[in-house]
Amino acid sequence: MKSELLNKLFECVEFGKINLESPYPPQMKGLPGADEITRQALESGITPDEILNEALIAAMDKVGQKFSEKKIFVPQMLLSAKAMNVSMEHLKPYFADGSVKRKGVFILGTVFGDLHDIGKNLVGMMIEGAGWEVIDLGVDVKIDTFVNKVKEYPGSPVGISALLSTTMINIKPVIEAIKTVSPKTKVIVGGAPLSAEFAASIGADAYGKNPLEGIKWLESTYRS
Amino acid sequence: MIGSFQYFRFSFREVAPTMNEVLKYVQSTGLDKEHPAVVFTENVLKKLDNLQGICGGYVIKKNEPVLPTEGVIKIDDFTLHVGKQISKCLEEASYIALFLCTAGPDFSNITRKLNHEGSWMESYLVDAIGSLTVEKAMNIIWHNLAESMDKEGLKISNRYSPGYCNWDVSDQKILFSLIGDNPTRVTLSETCLMLPVKSVSGIIGIGENLRRYKYGCEMCNNQTCIYRKIIHE
Repeated sequence: MKSELLNKLFECVEFGKINLESPYPPQMKGLPGADEITRQALESGITPDEILNEALIAAMDKVGQKFSEKKIFVPQMLLSAKAMNVSMEHLKPYFADGSVKRKGVFILGTVFGDLHDIGKNLVGMMIEGAGWEVIDLGVDVKIDTFVNKVKEYPGSPVGISALLSTTMINIKPVIEAIKTVSPKTKVIVGGAPLSAEFAASIGADAYGKNPLEGIKWLESTYRS
Repeated sequence: MIGSFQYFRFSFREVAPTMNEVLKYVQSTGLDKEHPAVVFTENVLKKLDNLQGICGGYVIKKNEPVLPTEGVIKIDDFTLHVGKQISKCLEEASYIALFLCTAGPDFSNITRKLNHEGSWMESYLVDAIGSLTVEKAMNIIWHNLAESMDKEGLKISNRYSPGYCNWDVSDQKILFSLIGDNPTRVTLSETCLMLPVKSVSGIIGIGENLRRYKYGCEMCNNQTCIYRKIIHE
């Protein structure tokens, strides 16, 4: 029963079956989705930790792999993220009371001057799916906003994105300000015009070419 | 020929991308027709029928002769640092059409609302439709310019935009100064981001002996270009 439910939830997230009403995928039409199965799993005594680790994180890991292998593309990935998010809603009370631990807090935002958010959102969803609490500061995030959040969550890694060559240069003063108040805070940067060389030149600790690389960096840097 | 801003307005129907174009753009042509991305795209293309604010145009100015090796275009005492690749393509241009085109503010409003509701896939698809819409509107303007110039015995080049082929986005400020007042309502942020976001700007060469060069990654060796990353990686 337990492994059957967790497997079903895994499948719902992998294929983006959000709830009972979701007509897709066709072979799951009329069947419960991530929403109902998560509720059922909790009611049957499966722990939130097991749901998170054995179904949600595992499924999003597979989704990330498929994406990096170009077996699926952004729309499918976003659908999976939505299914995961719906399931995660049921787990929120357990995160809040501390009975389920996340891997850490990841602070995320698009640098000031830039309004692009698709890539940033995708990264946020995948990192949340990898078991982190993501604090998404949005787009056009000012230096002070990043700094204040770093002070609030000392030691938490920060992700900064930019989509324009004119805005990627704004990342440097953000990193400098973060490192001034918290020298040990690590910063990963990403976005289409960036490169590993550019990231190194502005003092970033890492460059994430895609969401999966960001997750791998987090896992290797913050392995407990 | 040199004169005021030539203004074009479009209904969404005139410039709407097809279902297949949207799915190709989001690399999802392989999805079956029941997939939510396909179903949503089909429905939203119908719902966007009444969309307003799709417009654009161009203003033509004299191109002052400059050696292509300098990598610049000189117009009305302004210098656009387009880079050697683009300046080479515009070597024979007697005139330059400076263009601006927008799909309007509604796309940003809709995507923001969908994101807020947690409909991320839907937001992404509307964003893609916005990108394709502005490109299609600009294609019509380009063809219109080509036809007008053909009557004068002139040819036109591909279009080139700041941010591509090593032309820095910061030149948007000069480009906008040269375009001057116009009815598109497109503005530029401090960081040279166009608002509405779904807008394009750039230049088109006009000349008697203008050759149309291959455009795209073949003519550009910029390894960090956004297009190169999207298309080839």
